Amino acid sequence: MTINTHTYQVRLRGRLDERWAEWFVGFTLAGDADGTTVLTGPVADQAALHGLLRRLGALGATLISVNELHSEPQGEESP
Amino acid sequence: MVTPILATKLFAPSPRAQAIARPHLVDALDAGIRGGRRLSLVSAPAGFGKSTLLSAWVAALRARSGVRAAWLSLDEGDNDPARFLAYLSAALRSADPAIGVHAHAGQPSLEAGLALLINEVAHSGQEIVLVLDDFQVIEDAAILDALGFLLERLPASLHIAIASRSDPLLPVARLRARGELTELRADGLRFTPAEAAEFLNTAMGLTLSHEDVAALETRTEGWIAGLQLAALSMRDRADASAFIAGFAGSNRFVIDYLIEEVLERAPEETRDFLRDTAILERLSGPLCDAVTGGTGGGATLAALERANLFVVPLDEAREWYRYHHLFADVLRSRLLGHGAERAAVLHARASAWFEHHDALEEAVRYALAAGDLTRAARLIEASIPGVRKSRQDATLLRWLSMLPAETMARRPVLLVFSAWSALVAGDIAAVEPRLEAAERLVAPGAPAHESEPGAELDTLPITIALYRAAVALAAGDVPGVTRHASRALRLAGPDEHLGRGAAAGLLGLGLWAGGDLEGGLGAFADAGHSLRLAGNLTDALSTTMVCADMLVPLGRLGEARRAYESALGEARARLGGGPPTADLHGGFAEVLIELGDLAAAEEQLSAAEALGAGAFSAEHHYRWFVSKALLRRAQGQPEAALALLEEAERSYRRGFFAEARPIGAMKARIRIEQGRLPEARAWLDAQGLTPLDELGYLREYSHLTLARLLLAQGDAAADPLLWRLHDAALAGGRLGVVAEIRQLQRQPVAPAGEQGPRLSERELQVLTLLASELSGPEIARALFVSVNTLRTHTRHIFEKLAVGTRQAAVRRARERGLL
Repeated sequence: MTINTHTYQVRLRGRLDERWAEWFVGFTLAGDADGTTVLTGPVADQAALHGLLRRLGALGATLISVNELHSEPQGEESP
Repeated sequence: MVTPILATKLFAPSPRAQAIARPHLVDALDAGIRGGRRLSLVSAPAGFGKSTLLSAWVAALRARSGVRAAWLSLDEGDNDPARFLAYLSAALRSADPAIGVHAHAGQPSLEAGLALLINEVAHSGQEIVLVLDDFQVIEDAAILDALGFLLERLPASLHIAIASRSDPLLPVARLRARGELTELRADGLRFTPAEAAEFLNTAMGLTLSHEDVAALETRTEGWIAGLQLAALSMRDRADASAFIAGFAGSNRFVIDYLIEEVLERAPEETRDFLRDTAILERLSGPLCDAVTGGTGGGATLAALERANLFVVPLDEAREWYRYHHLFADVLRSRLLGHGAERAAVLHARASAWFEHHDALEEAVRYALAAGDLTRAARLIEASIPGVRKSRQDATLLRWLSMLPAETMARRPVLLVFSAWSALVAGDIAAVEPRLEAAERLVAPGAPAHESEPGAELDTLPITIALYRAAVALAAGDVPGVTRHASRALRLAGPDEHLGRGAAAGLLGLGLWAGGDLEGGLGAFADAGHSLRLAGNLTDALSTTMVCADMLVPLGRLGEARRAYESALGEARARLGGGPPTADLHGGFAEVLIELGDLAAAEEQLSAAEALGAGAFSAEHHYRWFVSKALLRRAQGQPEAALALLEEAERSYRRGFFAEARPIGAMKARIRIEQGRLPEARAWLDAQGLTPLDELGYLREYSHLTLARLLLAQGDAAADPLLWRLHDAALAGGRLGVVAEIRQLQRQPVAPAGEQGPRLSERELQVLTLLASELSGPEIARALFVSVNTLRTHTRHIFEKLAVGTRQAAVRRARERGLL
């Protein structure tokens, strides 16, 4: 068994500065042309995801969307 | 000792000079209170003026109507039920000094404490608004459950107001549906254009055009913290309109843009001060100096407050402050930009400062944040006596879980404490290895260990022996309990009352479980004496229940009655009806039922009920249902009794007490009396009980239940079993049990129901005495009942035997073989 880390993307209204990457350890921040910011990074489990959302809430951020990024399936399914 | 209370957490922030009046919101809250709603919920993200609104509201209430406010600012550490309760009591006490006096004195459970608090609030009659600020930090399920319970039972004089950044996990939807909730959310809290204009131009002293105000209002969406930051950025700026145009045209995160602006305009030393002190949950001048290594921290804080730079005073004297949460997060993120090493140094300095100021809990928190586990381990060890006395188990368990095993390996005191935490968590297997490791470290000739000298270390061998006795008790190893508890007693000095009391109590529990009730009584008398000397009256009086449970089988009912009367008198006078008063009422009722005084038993149960369902200790909660069931049974209501016993099964907790009278056996007895023999049989079979079993005290009650079943079935196996039980009980001096057996032996072995209604045990006792020369009052005295109660019994006997006189009753009874 390996620990299943999921990758999540969180989109916020407004452009968040690069230096916040230190605050959201392991996440990359990217500003979008439409004035939103996308945080992309690993989330260990649901508790970690809720923790991340709470940290964003504490900053007064307006959440637009939360998505899990699906990785490509590894290898073939056995019949 | 109780939980140390930081007064800063109970301080309702005084309304800011720059705050603007928001009458429509205050009116909404007022209307809620007038309409008798239970809860006001102010739920919005940071920076929407939640605390400001509530503090303005309660200040107005206080000035206008004599309603008092109890304010509690919560933090993450309050997820410990004991600590939460201590703070809740302290907050309510700040509104009325008569409240919370008993409630925080070492409550066994949060619900019990809350129930007591509710009673005190109801009795005080003082109208109180309880404000729970920053409620979003509360995640502990036990606390949330208990608060849900509280919300359902609020006295009319108490209103709760909650400020939270996220909707609390409380039954809010139910309150909303019932119209018992006043709710203010972000949309209602944001500044309207008119409020924005008043705030910027009047409170903040700017002179902005209508268009500029509208642009700011749109860009910040009425977010108050954003408008406040914008105002700060524009102070002393010649061209406010240009700033607003730049801000409005940027799509940067509002707070990033604005805080950057504010910080850029602050002097460099202020910026450094803010960045370095951002790690602190609360700030004072001396603490800031210790952390920054600078001087003049107090003056800096005062200047920040004057400049309105997001510091919030936490007391009237302006000694303690905190940063506005939003601001603190931004500052901390900037600190992280300077590298984790810098943050660790600052945390370590904060930890040292708190240690030197005897705030061990905060010292531990910052040591853990600094990643200095050795330091944290030492501080946790030092805090053990205080935290244990205040019963903040959850806090200690959380700390212990953050320490790796190797940090504890050289610290015997911490090892023993982690053994205790395993015991509490029910992880019995983990206890002994830790005790052994600790024992090796303190053995003579062992290499030096790292625990600090002191009382905890000196008494460690006693503590180890006590925990071993507790493990043995949990495992049902009676000789083991006796061995370890005796060792603890031998090791404890004459003045170590708490240790002696615990050892004697464990010894008593072991003797009890082994069937030596006389020995158990003696041990519990010692335990009660030591606990009194240790100043722990609650636990000393709690020994009454255990003693009575042993006195009843011994047949010493009068003694049990006097013990309860005296303990109740003391509990009422000296503990104000606090724990263990409810437990005592419940236990006393059982003795009164044994004595046949059902009216007095009913009174005791009502007295217990009046103290509230939560007033029972966790261990005795189920006993209340048992007592009530026994009463209903004695009153001839078997179905009600069975339902109550099922309730008792649901709230039963094994605890450390001997399981001398299983609930299942009580149910089986009632079913036998009802003639529902297969159901009774099913339980006895499931326990694997047979008439040929080896006998032991812990199964005596169950075996007697089996004998009753056999009698009802007309099974001849009843007779030898009863004789064996009789001899065992007699050998153990259990004369109460002997009397019960003799009663059963007098019953004819015949299926129930053949000879008309069955007489109860009590009625058979009365009948025996009716056949004597004794007068009515003499019989009543012999049975410890009132003459009235005796009359009731006599009437029932006459009815069941279909006779009208004493002589006729005795004659009929002889005919039926009842005498």
